[in-house]
Amino acid sequence: MAGISSICSNPDDRAALTTRSVYIHVPFCRHKCGYCDFTLVAGRDDLFDRYLAALSQEFQVHGFDPSRPTEVDTLFLGGGTPTHPTVSQLRALLELVRDYFPLRSGAEFSVEANPLDLTDEKIELLSEFGVNRLSLGVQALRDDLLTLLERDHRAVQIGPLLERLRPVFASVSIDLMFGIPGQTLGDWEQSLRDVVAYDLPHVSTYGLTWEPNTAFSTRLKRGELNRADEGLEGEMYLAAMEYLGAAGYRHYEISNFARPGFECRHHLVYWNGGDYEAFGPSAARHRAGRRETNVRSVLGWLSAVESGRSVVGDAEDLDPETRARELIMLQLRLDHGVIRDAFSQQTGFAFNDLAAGQLAELLASGLLEDTGEAVRLTRQGKLLGDRVAAEFL
Amino acid sequence: MFDQTKIRNFSIVAHIDHGKSTLSDQILLKSGAITEREFKEQLLDDLKVERERGITVKARAVAVNYTYNGEVYEINFIDTPGHVDFHYEVSRSLAACEGALLLVDAFQGVQAQTVANAYAAINANLEVIPVVNKVDLPVTRIPEVLEEIESVIGLDTTDVIKTSGKTGAGVEDCLAAIIERIPSPKGNPKDPLKALIFDCKYDTYRGVITYVRVKEGRLYKGQKIYCMKTAAAHEVLEIGQFRPHMEPCEDLGPGQVGYIVTGVKVLGTIHVGDTVTDYHNRAEKALPGYEVPQQMVFCGMYPIDATDFEHLRDELEKMSLNDASFSFAADTSDALGFGFRCGFLGMLHMEVIQQRLEQEAQVDLIQTAPNVTYQLVKTNREEVFIDNPQEVPDAGSIEEFREPIAKVQFILPSDKIGPIMQLCADRRGVYLTTEYLGPKRVQLTWELPLAELVFDMYDKLKSITQGYGTMNYEVIGYRPADLVKMDILVKGERVDALACIVHRSVAERRGRAVCKKLKEEISRHQFEIPIQASIGARIIARETISAVRKDVTAKCYGGDISRKRKLLEKQKEGKKRMKQFGQVEIPQKAFLAVLSTGEEG
Ligand SMILES: Nc1nc2c(ncn2[C@@H]2O[C@H](COP(=O)(O)OP(=O)(O)OP(=O)(O)O)[C@@H](O)[C@H]2O)c(=O)[nH]1
Ligand code: SF4
Ligand SMILES: [Mg+2]
Repeated sequence: MAGISSICSNPDDRAALTTRSVYIHVPFCRHKCGYCDFTLVAGRDDLFDRYLAALSQEFQVHGFDPSRPTEVDTLFLGGGTPTHPTVSQLRALLELVRDYFPLRSGAEFSVEANPLDLTDEKIELLSEFGVNRLSLGVQALRDDLLTLLERDHRAVQIGPLLERLRPVFASVSIDLMFGIPGQTLGDWEQSLRDVVAYDLPHVSTYGLTWEPNTAFSTRLKRGELNRADEGLEGEMYLAAMEYLGAAGYRHYEISNFARPGFECRHHLVYWNGGDYEAFGPSAARHRAGRRETNVRSVLGWLSAVESGRSVVGDAEDLDPETRARELIMLQLRLDHGVIRDAFSQQTGFAFNDLAAGQLAELLASGLLEDTGEAVRLTRQGKLLGDRVAAEFL
Repeated sequence: MFDQTKIRNFSIVAHIDHGKSTLSDQILLKSGAITEREFKEQLLDDLKVERERGITVKARAVAVNYTYNGEVYEINFIDTPGHVDFHYEVSRSLAACEGALLLVDAFQGVQAQTVANAYAAINANLEVIPVVNKVDLPVTRIPEVLEEIESVIGLDTTDVIKTSGKTGAGVEDCLAAIIERIPSPKGNPKDPLKALIFDCKYDTYRGVITYVRVKEGRLYKGQKIYCMKTAAAHEVLEIGQFRPHMEPCEDLGPGQVGYIVTGVKVLGTIHVGDTVTDYHNRAEKALPGYEVPQQMVFCGMYPIDATDFEHLRDELEKMSLNDASFSFAADTSDALGFGFRCGFLGMLHMEVIQQRLEQEAQVDLIQTAPNVTYQLVKTNREEVFIDNPQEVPDAGSIEEFREPIAKVQFILPSDKIGPIMQLCADRRGVYLTTEYLGPKRVQLTWELPLAELVFDMYDKLKSITQGYGTMNYEVIGYRPADLVKMDILVKGERVDALACIVHRSVAERRGRAVCKKLKEEISRHQFEIPIQASIGARIIARETISAVRKDVTAKCYGGDISRKRKLLEKQKEGKKRMKQFGQVEIPQKAFLAVLSTGEEG
C-alpha cells in the first residue's frame, strides 16, 4: 500500500479548511436503478460530447483557465456513473479535468465506479490519470438483492475484482446498503463479515432511503415492496458499527468507516464546512458561506450552459450564525463531533452559546456526550442524528 | 343637527347567509355613499376573519343620506351577523334602532335564526319590515316563503318587499318602505344628553373608539362627557359618523348614530351598554343597557411562549372591548403554564376569537378542548359551578353532578325527521314536539344536554339534511346526570389540560377515540409513549406511540447540505409550536383531541 501515508489525513486538524477541492458530476448511467434519485440520464450516451463541451464552458464561466491551471488537493468524480462512458470518452473527460485542475502532489483523486465497468483498460486509464481512490457501488452481496436493486453485477464478481484493483489504487472503498426490502439481519451480518474479509481500507454503509418520485416509492405505494421495519434498520446500523468497529475501522462519519488514515479527504471538506468547487448538473459548490446548487436536470444544465445562461438553480448566502449552526449539523456527523476550540476559531461563535437551551437535555437523554473538549453523538445518538442536529438549527 | 323627522334607524336581521351584507352593499350604492369604483362584495365585512369565512361576525353601523320624494333623509342602519353565536351583536343593534328589515331567502324561507331574530326585533318593539331577498335565484319558493312568514312569525306580508342584493332589484322599494313605515326617532335635543354605547373598539393610534346612538340631547365636539356606570369623565376630541368610513362631524342629535374619540388608551373606563351624558348637565337615569349573555362553552387559551402571558392579557382586554360577549379569567395548568379560561357563546364564536387573536394581535395560542359549565352539589351540600374539568373534585365528595340542558328548535325538511330524531335520542335528548310549517317543512323541539349539542350538532344537522336543516337553542336549566371526569395520561402522567367531563355511558368510547386521536397528533419520540384514558384509578382505554428507532440521513455530501439544513430547520420550526410536557412534546392541535367522540369509526 505504497503512497497511502501521503493521502492520509487527520480529520481533527483544520487541513480541510485550506484544501482546494473540486467535484465533478458525471450524469451517465447504463440504467436508472429503482431507488435512485440522483441526477443522471440513462440511455443518452449520445449527450456525452455536449456534456464535455459544456463542462469546459462551465469551468471557464467560473474563471478557471487551462493556461493557468488550478492545482487541487482533492478531486472527486461522482455520478451517475463516471466509469460508464467509453474508454475514449473517459480519457477525454480525464484530460479535460487534468488540463484545468491538475493534482497537487499528495492529492486525493476519487472516482465512483460501477463494478462491471472496470475493464483492465479502464483501470489502467484511471490510474494513468492519477486516480488513487476508487469508490465501488457494490450495494449488496446477495444476488437476489442485487436484482431487486437493479444492479448489473453478481456477488461472486466482487472478490476477484477487488484483487485486480488492490495493486493499482491506494484506496478502494465499497458502498453497501441495508434496509433493503427482504433483507434480514442475518443477511446483513453476513455481508458485513464478507466485507471485513475483503479487508478494504474504506467502507460506506447506507440505509436505503425511499426518495419520492422513484420507482421504489411507487412500488411501495402499490404494496409491491415492503419497507424495512425501522427497528430492524436500527439494528442493522448498529451491527455495522459493531462488526466494522471490531475489525479496526474507524466510524469517522455517520455512514463511513475507514482504516485510520484512509478517510475520504474530499468528503471531510464538506463536513468541516470547507470550500469546494463543483461542476455539472446538480453539482453544489460552497465558497465562504455562499452555497450554490446547479440546476438538477441534465438537459436543463446543458442548454443553460450552451446558451450562456447561469446554471445555478439555487443559491443562498448564509449569515455567520446560520453558517455556524450548519457546521454543528455537519460536524455532529463526524466521530469527533464539534471540537469547541476549533469551532469558535472557525465560526467566531462559542459552541455553548449556540447550544445553551438544548445541550443539557440532549446530554441527559444520552444522545450526546461531552468530553469537555468536544461534544459528539453517542452510539444511540448516531441512530437519531437528525433529531439531534435539528435541535441546534 | 339633522332634521330629526328625516332620520330613520334600522337593523338588517336574518338567518345566516340570507344576504344582509350584500343588501347593505346595495344601500350604500343606491344612496351614493360609495361609488361603483369603491364597491366590493360585502364591503362592511372588513375583518380578516369575516372575509376569510364569508360571514359577518361584528355588527356594522353606517349612516347614509338618501333623497326620497325630493327630501333628504339620513338613514342609519346596522348590518348584523346571522349566526346564532353572534346573537348578542344583534340584540345590541336592535336597541339602537326603531325598525328592522327581516330578510328571508326566497328559496330557503324561514329558518331557525329568522324566527329567533324576528322575535327579538318584535320584543324590542321595533317596526319589522319583512323582505324576501335573493329573488333573482333560479329557483325560488316565494308563495310558500310568504306563507311561512305569516304563519311562523305572524307578520303581515301584504306589502312585502322583494329584493335582490345581487341585481339591486327592489332596493328602492325597500328604502321607500323604510322611510314610510319606520318611525323617526323620538327624543328631545334640548334634554340632557343620553347616548347608548352599543359597541367599542380599540385603535392603536386613537385609543378607544366608542360607538353611540344618541337618544336624547346633543353630543358635540369638545363636550365634556360622563359615562354613567363607570363614573368616568372624558373629553370629546372628535365625533363623527360611519359613511361607511369614519367621517368627523360637528354634532349628533337624537336618533343619530356615530362614534366618539376621547383619546382614552386605558381600558376599563368605557363599557358597552353604558350611557354617555353631559358632564355638567347630567341625565337623571341611565338607559337600560344590556344584559350580558351567558357563555355556553369554555376553553383554556395559553400562549405558546410563556413570556407572552401579559401580552395575551392586553389583547384579550382589547378584544373584549370589541366583543363583550366573551369572558376571560387568568388560569393555570400544570401542563400549559399560565393562561386564561375563556367563555364563548358557541364554537364558531370561539374559533373566531381565537383567529382574531392570532391575526389581529399576533399571539400564538394553545387552546384546550371546550366544555360547558357544570354544576356540582358536594357532599357538604355546597353547590359550585365548574367550567374547567381540572376543578372537578374526587368522586367521593360529589353528591350530585348536574349538566346544562338546552331547548332546541330544529327546522328541517320533513323527510329528515327520522335521522334527526335518532341523533337526538342517541344524545340523551328528551323529545317535546313536532310542528309542520308547511307540507314539507317541520319544526322539531327537543331538550338536549348542552354538551351533546354545542360542539358538533350543527355540523351533524347540516350533513344529515344536506344543508337544509337549521337550529336554535337556549339553555333552560340544569339537570342531574351520571357524569364523570375522564383523565388522560401521557407516559404515565396525568395531563390536566386534557381532562374532560363525559357521561358514564359513553366514557369508554370517548376514551378510545381520544387516545386514538392523540396517537395521530403526537409525533413519535425516541421512547415509547403510552397514552391512557382513566376514570379515577381505572384505565378505560390505551394506545401506544412507538419509539423512533432510527432517524438519520444516510448521505450528506456536497449537494445535500443546503437541502438537509432547510429540512431540519423546518422540523425545528414545527417544534416551536409544541408544548413540552415532561419529556413529551405535544402539538397545539392535540389539545382539541378531547373532542373526539368516536361516534363513527
Ligand atoms: N343569488 C343571490 N345571491 C345572493 C344575494 N344576496 C346574497 N347572496 C349570496 O349569498 C351569500 C351570503 O351573502 P351575505 O350577504 O354574506 O349574507 P349575510 O346574511 O350577510 O351572511 P351573515 O352575515 O354571515 O349572516 C353570498 O354568497 C352572496 O353572494 C342575492 O340577492 N341573490
Ligand atoms: S448506477 Fe448509481 S447513479 Fe446510476 S442509477 Fe444506479 S444508483 Fe443511480
Ligand atoms: Mg353578513
